Amino acid sequence: MNWNGKDTESFQQQKEYVDTALVPLVPISFESDMKETASQHEFVQLLTMLLEKQFKGRILLIPPFTYIKQQEEEEKLAALKRWSDEIDNAGFKHKLFFTSDSNWKLAEDKIDGSLVWVPAVPLEHMEDSYKYSLIEDQAKQFVNIIVHKWQQDLS
Amino acid sequence: MSKQPVSRRQFLNYTLTGVGGFMAAGMLMPMVRFAIDPVLAHGGKGEYHTTKQKVDELSTKPTRVDFSYEQKDAWYTSEVTQTAWVYKNEKGEIVALSPVCKHLGCTVDWEGSGHKSQFYCPCHGGLYEKSGKNVPGTPPTRPLDRYQTKVKDGFLQLGKPEPQDIA
Repeated sequence: MNWNGKDTESFQQQKEYVDTALVPLVPISFESDMKETASQHEFVQLLTMLLEKQFKGRILLIPPFTYIKQQEEEEKLAALKRWSDEIDNAGFKHKLFFTSDSNWKLAEDKIDGSLVWVPAVPLEHMEDSYKYSLIEDQAKQFVNIIVHKWQQDLS
Repeated sequence: MSKQPVSRRQFLNYTLTGVGGFMAAGMLMPMVRFAIDPVLAHGGKGEYHTTKQKVDELSTKPTRVDFSYEQKDAWYTSEVTQTAWVYKNEKGEIVALSPVCKHLGCTVDWEGSGHKSQFYCPCHGGLYEKSGKNVPGTPPTRPLDRYQTKVKDGFLQLGKPEPQDIA
């Protein structure tokens, strides 16, 4: 489900079925790595949108957790902790954080929830059809990971 | 060439008939257009989107067909990609089913997770038969929607998905 009026309304009615929150982690910078952060956003956004489409009935796609790239790591982790606590309180069983920022990968053990790190592919010069099939191929891998995660939870 | 002088009376007659005719046409045309509009509305089923799927290549096994078209959402135009599971049934008719689970809208998969000859929804374990009929005892309560289909130059065209009634 998406973060919009219609979907959140059905989320509130069907809460017991929607147990997974999908949160993109997106850095922002206006320095030399501005373009890099922007294309990370583009890539992660497309990927999570496709996953949401696939698993609409069980996943809620939350607006990206955005932070300043230069921010101190502790600060970022503390802010993310607030988010994940809030998500826990809302009754979600699974938290999936999607990011292309490799800094999170280094702090993975300090994150409460599953971190999925996907290196961003620069999409800006790509034809739409090619772009779509590339994202789809990537998403297929994660479909299996997510389904596996849910099944683990059952057994 | 013989000269036929037009009399004043004739000239006025012609002119008035002409102008009167235009005025009458001006009034009647919109009325007629309104009256026959429902007939002219093409099909009334909305537009069809052409896919890259050749109809000859379809078999009795459901194949995934992706198709995309432009959609306007307020001022935002985006390219939407949709999927259909397409196969030919025993009668040779083309059946195109929407992959959107009737439970909460996940995407169903043909023979997913080892469910033979069934559509499987990975979210909450919903099952559908090949016809799209929901299997009782699983979360979905209605059959999968079925697309309107058309064939143009050997390629499959898909219209709007519509609810099915299968007893």
